[in-house]
Amino acid sequence: MLRPYDMSNVIITGPKNIQAPVVRELHDMKILHIVDHSKSELADIGVPMEDASRLSDALVKVRSLMSSLGVKRNGEGFILKKGIAEIESTVKKLNEQLSLYLEDSKKTESLLSNAESVRQELELLKSVDIPLELLAPYKSLAVFAGYARGTSSLRTALSAVTQKYTLFEGAASKKSFIAMFIDIKHSQHAKYALEKSGFLQVNFAHAGNLRGTASYNLVKTEKEIKRLSSRKAEIRESISRLHDTYRGFLLASEEYLASQLEKSEAPLRFASTSSSFLIKGWIPSDELSSSIERIHKATKNKVYVHFEPPKRQDKVPVKLKNPKFAKPFEFFIDLYSMPMYREIDPTFFIFLTFPIFYGIMLGDVGYGLLSLALFWILKKKIPSGTRLLSVLMLASFVTILFGFFFGEFFGYEFIHPVISREHDMFTLMYFAVGVGVVHVNIGLIIGFFNELRWHGFVHALFGKLSWFVLEAGVALSVLSIIGIIPISIAYGAALVAVAIFMLVKGEGFKGIIELPSIFANMLSYARLMAIGLSSVVLAIIVNRSSFHFIEKGGLLILVGIIILIIGHAINIVLGLVGGFLHSMRLHYVEFFSKFFAGGAPKYYPFGAKE
Amino acid sequence: MVELGSGLVALASALAIGISAVAAAWAEKEIGVAAVGAMAEKEELFGKGLILTVIPETIVIFGLIMSIIILVLTK
Repeated sequence: MLRPYDMSNVIITGPKNIQAPVVRELHDMKILHIVDHSKSELADIGVPMEDASRLSDALVKVRSLMSSLGVKRNGEGFILKKGIAEIESTVKKLNEQLSLYLEDSKKTESLLSNAESVRQELELLKSVDIPLELLAPYKSLAVFAGYARGTSSLRTALSAVTQKYTLFEGAASKKSFIAMFIDIKHSQHAKYALEKSGFLQVNFAHAGNLRGTASYNLVKTEKEIKRLSSRKAEIRESISRLHDTYRGFLLASEEYLASQLEKSEAPLRFASTSSSFLIKGWIPSDELSSSIERIHKATKNKVYVHFEPPKRQDKVPVKLKNPKFAKPFEFFIDLYSMPMYREIDPTFFIFLTFPIFYGIMLGDVGYGLLSLALFWILKKKIPSGTRLLSVLMLASFVTILFGFFFGEFFGYEFIHPVISREHDMFTLMYFAVGVGVVHVNIGLIIGFFNELRWHGFVHALFGKLSWFVLEAGVALSVLSIIGIIPISIAYGAALVAVAIFMLVKGEGFKGIIELPSIFANMLSYARLMAIGLSSVVLAIIVNRSSFHFIEKGGLLILVGIIILIIGHAINIVLGLVGGFLHSMRLHYVEFFSKFFAGGAPKYYPFGAKE
Repeated sequence: MVELGSGLVALASALAIGISAVAAAWAEKEIGVAAVGAMAEKEELFGKGLILTVIPETIVIFGLIMSIIILVLTK
């Protein structure tokens, strides 16, 4: 609690010929957080083991198969019998089979889309049912086919020039569809006349090569489309059969190959000379001796292991240490940033205050019960979200407690409240800001201890305790101005001046810029009241408007019930999202800014799964 | 009928919360755009992005407090 696990810096060196067993042992132990070696004059990085390229080749193939078959990642027991040889042969077989299907599918797709275009064109041509071969180009005739507004004006315009033309007309959706054959000598006139009647040429690229009438071809094409569609469905069916058969195999292979490849490529992270290797890393101190023993045993004492406590400038990876009940709240640290190794881990404080803030904001027995049930069901359904949902369940429970405190059940005052959120707005606001004062000061105290540990007492005194002096000064000044304490304002002002002096000494002139922020931070906690108020007012409005309908009786009761359900559903969603985000924000912005630096790498032992 | 005076008080109160809400929304929009942009490059920035995005929210809280104070003190 409050401090991460103690870490020890470990350096393992040995001759190259035992590199592979060391890597294997470390991978099995899942304990060493490797620090990548960066190439330097003293030592280059190592080279991957021999089988790395074979493994990565197989891994790429397996992953590509998984994506073509649409295999989703979720654990399933499948046992590989012969390792990489089995994977390679099965993958080859599977690849051949699948590529046949995919090729066939591609061909069918393209035929199908071609047939669809033909059908579209034929449906248009059906309205002027002429043999399609007539549309081919002629020496002495010009052919025009397309949409036009109407044909009467066109006919008049053409008859002034020539009688040697034939015009077919059919109805398309809004305009008419025409096909016109005219003596090629008059094609210019025809174009002009067509333009006037809003002619829009249609290109029959697909149907132009067919023979016979449009309706005859249409029947044929539709049959073809049907055949191709069923062929497509068949191929899809076969692919999904492949998916079902090989899903477990692919998942298991992927996992196996990824972990083998991690081992084979591990030397890239080591320092290496022509005949030796050196691994730097971190191991939790309480597992140090047993780990070293295992390494020695695996290599028959052929490696040298050096270990030491972390030095001041080391970037130590952090493994958070918290009791089981506070563990889910590490979610918030993961989302933000790991605390530095020597900093206080704020998880426990978040565990204390996050549910309270959330509860104050939502504060309704009905909403609390409903969201508790919802999160409980979700926790059963979504194993990956367990941490967050545990947090939310605890928060919902506190919501119920505050629901009794505020006397609210779906916005309805069901018992006499300690503080009524609807009527005692100001009381609640003072309460909220009071919570803020306490919370921010806890932050400052943590900050004081962080500074004490890292920079010593003087720094902690000027940098953090100065804020307490400032608060006391401002409080004294305000109280003497209002006349509650009968002393001169000078005392308060003097304290403020001392605080400013200390701040400038502790944090430089940027401390002065930060001065007002601490009070803005405290006032920011007024949101505890504000969010709750908006939630309760919405609930009351929903209740009133629905009772208004229910009172009238008859079918309107149904309307009232619908308003009740939808209204409260919306309000719950708003309340959950608002309560969560604002509570989180109060921690990240107002609380963390008083002490938290963060930025440490997370402890991630070699061989552990994501 | 509502008196002119109390109508003006209500209006003042509405303006206090309304304008500050618009201001907060505007500020958050500007920051939010940048934060999402940064997150697209580097997903770990979610925490920092969220914090920066919600910082202006305090403006609207102050607006609400002013609005309530106007309503209550002029009652």
